[in-house]
Amino acid sequence: MASAETANVALRPDELRRIAERLGREPSVVELHAFDAQWSEHCSYKSSRHHLKTLPTDGASVVLGPAEDSGILHLGEHDGERYGIVIAHESHNHPSQVVPFEGAATGIGGIVRDVLCMGAEVIAVADPLRFGRVDDAQSHQRYVAQGAVDGISAYGNAIGVPNIAGDVYFDERFDDNCLVNVVAMGIVKESEIIHSYAPKGAGGWDIVLVGKATDPSGFGGASFSSLTLDAADEASNKGAVQVPDPFLKNVLMRASYRVFGYLRERKLTVGFKDLGAGGIMGCSAEICSAGGYGATIDLDKVNLAIDGLKPEVIAVGETQERLIWVLPPEITADVLRIYNEEFTLPQIAHNARAVVIGTVTDETRYVLRHHGETVMDVEIDFLTGSIRDELPYAQPAPSAAEERPLVTGVQLDELLERVLAHRDVCSREPLYRRYDSVVRGCTVLPRGAADAGVLAPVPGAPLGVALGVAGNPRYAKLDPRLAAEHAVYEAVRRVVAVGARPIGLTDCLNFGNPRKPDHLGEFVASIAGLAQASAAFDAPYVSGNVSLYNESAGGKAIPASPIVACVGAIEDVAHVVTMPLKAAGSVLYYIGRPQNALGGSVLLDVLGRHEAVLPRIDYDFAAAQHALVLNAARANLLRSAHQVGNGGLATALCEMAFPTLRRGRAPIGVQIDEPWQWTHGAVGDLEALFAETGGFVVEIAAADVEAFEGLADDVEGVWEIGVTTDQPVLAIDDEAFDLHRLRDVWSAPLREVYP
Amino acid sequence: MTKKIAVLVFPGTNSEEETLRLLRACGGDAHLVHWSRAALLRDFDAYVLPGGFAYEDRIRAGAIAAHDEMMDYVIEGAQAGKLVYGICNGAQILLEAGLVPGTGEVRRPTAAFTRNGPVPHFVCTHVWMKLAIDPQRSPILRGLERGALVPAWSAHGEGRLAATAEELRALRDGGHVAFVYAHEDGSVDDSAIPNQAALGCAALVNRAGNVLAMMPHPERDGWTFHHPDRRRGNAMLEPSGGAVLFRSFVQAVNA
Repeated sequence: MASAETANVALRPDELRRIAERLGREPSVVELHAFDAQWSEHCSYKSSRHHLKTLPTDGASVVLGPAEDSGILHLGEHDGERYGIVIAHESHNHPSQVVPFEGAATGIGGIVRDVLCMGAEVIAVADPLRFGRVDDAQSHQRYVAQGAVDGISAYGNAIGVPNIAGDVYFDERFDDNCLVNVVAMGIVKESEIIHSYAPKGAGGWDIVLVGKATDPSGFGGASFSSLTLDAADEASNKGAVQVPDPFLKNVLMRASYRVFGYLRERKLTVGFKDLGAGGIMGCSAEICSAGGYGATIDLDKVNLAIDGLKPEVIAVGETQERLIWVLPPEITADVLRIYNEEFTLPQIAHNARAVVIGTVTDETRYVLRHHGETVMDVEIDFLTGSIRDELPYAQPAPSAAEERPLVTGVQLDELLERVLAHRDVCSREPLYRRYDSVVRGCTVLPRGAADAGVLAPVPGAPLGVALGVAGNPRYAKLDPRLAAEHAVYEAVRRVVAVGARPIGLTDCLNFGNPRKPDHLGEFVASIAGLAQASAAFDAPYVSGNVSLYNESAGGKAIPASPIVACVGAIEDVAHVVTMPLKAAGSVLYYIGRPQNALGGSVLLDVLGRHEAVLPRIDYDFAAAQHALVLNAARANLLRSAHQVGNGGLATALCEMAFPTLRRGRAPIGVQIDEPWQWTHGAVGDLEALFAETGGFVVEIAAADVEAFEGLADDVEGVWEIGVTTDQPVLAIDDEAFDLHRLRDVWSAPLREVYP
Repeated sequence: MTKKIAVLVFPGTNSEEETLRLLRACGGDAHLVHWSRAALLRDFDAYVLPGGFAYEDRIRAGAIAAHDEMMDYVIEGAQAGKLVYGICNGAQILLEAGLVPGTGEVRRPTAAFTRNGPVPHFVCTHVWMKLAIDPQRSPILRGLERGALVPAWSAHGEGRLAATAEELRALRDGGHVAFVYAHEDGSVDDSAIPNQAALGCAALVNRAGNVLAMMPHPERDGWTFHHPDRRRGNAMLEPSGGAVLFRSFVQAVNA
C-alpha cells in the first residue's frame, strides 16, 4: 500500500479515489507512478483535449491526422510512389529552463524518435525558441539562451539531421519560463508507414525494447512538466531531466533504417513506438491498448545501466534513446541481430541493446512483473483511456477602442537603425550558424536563405518540401486569439514566399496554468484563432502538443504562445524562390495592404508607445495574394521574394539587400518611391514602411513586368513600390541610407549572446 | 574494369548517404561498409571517409576512429598506393591516423584539425576553396583546373589546422596544402577563413599525393539544386559545383 505523498506523485485526491475505486484496492507504488505519468496533463491532455477537438484535422493532403506519435501529409508522387511528410512538434520548456543544454538536446532527441517510429527517415528539425532578457551576461536567462542553443546544436548535428527552420524572441515574460519548441520532419513512402499500435493478430507477439540501458534519469518527467516551475524545487527537478546521447541515437537511427528495409523486403506489418513520457510503461501500454490488446512486461528483462533500480523507476523512468517494437516472434531474432551485432549497440553505449521484455496479450490487462511478483495489474484502457478535466475559463477582455495617431516627428534614419537592431528583428545568423543546416545533402534552402527552409527529400526526384515556423509573443500579449491567427498566417506566408503550397500545420500550444480561469481563457481564445485561420487557408493540423503550467512560483506566466509550423509542397524545386535580390534594374512590388494598426509592432516598441489594436487578417485578400505568389513562382517570374513580418516593409527590403553585400559580388540596392503614392494616403509613410500587416515583397525582372502584372490583374493590393539599383544604398524618396552601415547595425546584437 | 570504392561508416558517421550518392552520380562504383564488417575493406580499391562525429569526437575529433579496425585496412591500402579521400570528420581521422601529411609514423599525428578559433564553436557556413597546388601533384586532383575555385559547406567545431611552426613550414614548403579558403571571387585573406586554420588551410594532401584530407563538404554543394546561382539553365538534379572533386576522384580511381 502506498500514499500519494510518500510516493511523491502529483495525482490529486479525486484522481486517487477514482483509481482505488476502480481497482477495488489501494494501488501499489508502481501503479501510483504509472497513473501519475499517464494521467498527467503531459500524457492525457485532460484539461485541453476537449478544446483541441475544435481544430480542423482533415483535408485532401492528410494521410494521418493527430492520433499517433506524428502526423503525415501527402507530399507528391514520383516514379509511381506516393511520398508522405511525417511531422511532429513538441515542447521541452521545463527541462530547458532548469538544465538548458540537456533539456533542449533531449527535446530534439524525443521529437526525432516520434518521426522515426512511423517508419520514416528523419530529414529535418526546426526550433522555435522564446527566451527571457539576455542583456546581462551573468544572468540565468543568458545561460538558458546559450545552453539551449548549444544543446540543440550538439544533438542535431551529431545525429546528422539538418536544422532548416526556426525563430527566436526575447521577452521579459520568458525570464522564468523559456520555451524550447522542437519540430521534426521525416519522409516515408505512404505504402510503408509503420504505426504506433500492435497490428491485427498481434496477440502473443514479442514486445522488444531497443536502445539505451534504463537508468534513474528522467524519473517523474511527465508530471514534472505538468507542474509549475518553482525555483526552490529546481534542484530536485533536475533529477527529472533526461540525459541525451546523440552518439547512440545516431547509430540507433541507422540500425532502425536497416530494420525498416528488412520489414519492407518481407512486407511485414508491425508496431513501433517512441518511449517518451511514462517510459517503458507508457509506451508499451499505449502501443498495445491502441491495437485492442493487453501486455505483460517482465521488468527483470530490461537492460539496466545500474543494478538495484526500483520497479517504478524501471517502469516509468524516462531514460532517453529508447523505442519499443511489437514483432511477430519469428523475426525477433533477426531484428535483435541487426541492432546488437550488425550495429553493435552494446559496444556503442554501456549495456545498450535490443531485448525482448514482454508479450502482447489478448486479455486487455496491463501487467508488470518484477522479481517474480506482479507489481502492477490494471485494465489497460483504464490506464491509457482519456480522462477529462473540465476547468472553468474566462475569455480575455476585448481591447478597448483607442486613439491611434499617425507616427510623426521621428527621423527615418534613426528609426530604421533602431528597428533593425531590435531584439526581434536583428540577424539570427550568430545563432543558427551553430546548426548544421545542410547535412544529408538534400538541403535546397538552408537557414537564413529564405523565409522557410526547403529540402529535396527524395533523391532523384524534383519534389521539394518547405518548413516555416511562426508565433509572435508581442502580439500574444495583446490578443491571444488574433495572435494565434497571425501565427498561422505568418507560417503559411513563409512557406508561400519560397514558392511552396501550404499543405498542413502542426501546433505547439504553450500557456500558463489551466487552473487559473484567465490563463485557460487565453488558451481557449487561441484555439479559436488557430481553428479559424487553419480553415481559411485550408491547412489542417496533423500533429501538435500542449505545454501548460508555464508559470513560475511567483505566479508569473508566459504570454499566450501558440506556435505554428507549416509544411509546404513543391512540385519541382526548380521553381523555388530565395530572398536575396538578384539584379539591379528589377521592379519591386509590395503585395499586401498597409493598415493603421501598429499594436504589437517593433516600431511602437522602439518608440516606447503602446497600442492594443493588432492588424486584422482579411483571409480572402490573403488567399488571393498567396495564389498570385505561387503562380508567379511557378512561371519563374520571381527573382526573389520575402514575406513582410517583424519590422515591416523597410526591414524586409533591407534583408533582401544585405546578402548582396558580399565580397566578390556586385551589391544591389533599393530605390523606393514616395510611399504615399501607392498607399494613397490611407496611412502615413512610417506606417507604410514599418507596419506588420503581412504580405510580400517580390522582385520582378523588367522584361517580366508585363507577365507579372497580367497574373496580378484581378488581385487586390499589388503595388509597384520601386526598383533595384547597383548602389549599396536603401533610398526612400530623397533620403538615402548606407546599406553597409544598416547591415552592421542589424548583424551585431546577437553576436554578443552567440559569439 | 570499374574499381570499387568503399564509403566507410564508423559509429557516429552522419554523411555517408549523400557522399555515396554523389560518388555514384559521378560514375563511382561505391558501397557503404560498416564498422562491424571491417574485413570487407580489403577487397576495395579506394576509400572515402565521410563526415560525422565518429566515436563522438572523444578526446579529439578522429582520435579514436584512427584506431578502429577499419583504419588498419585503410592504412595498409594507402601505403600500397590506393586512393583515400577524407571529408570533414574523415579528414580529421586521416590526420589522426598519420596518413596526412604522412611524413611521420602511422598513428602518430604531426598535425591536427582541432578546436575552431576564435570561438570554439561548431559553425555551419558556405565557403569557397581554392586549389593551392599543381593539380598534377595528386591523382585525386588531376581533373581540376589550376587554381580551381570549388564551393562547399564548412560545418565543424574542430577544423582549425594546428601544428608546430616547424611542421607548418614543412606542410607549406612540401606542397601539402592542397586547398585554401577563399572568397567567391578567388581572392584570399584571413576573413575568408571560417575557423582560423593555420595557412588558411582547407585541405591537406600527403607526400605521395594519394591521400586527401578536406575539412569542407563539397557534396553538400554538389548538385545544382544546392545552389541558387546555378539553377537557371541547368538541370536541377545534375551534379555540379563541388561535384568536380568527386568526378576527379572517381576518374583517378578508375584510371
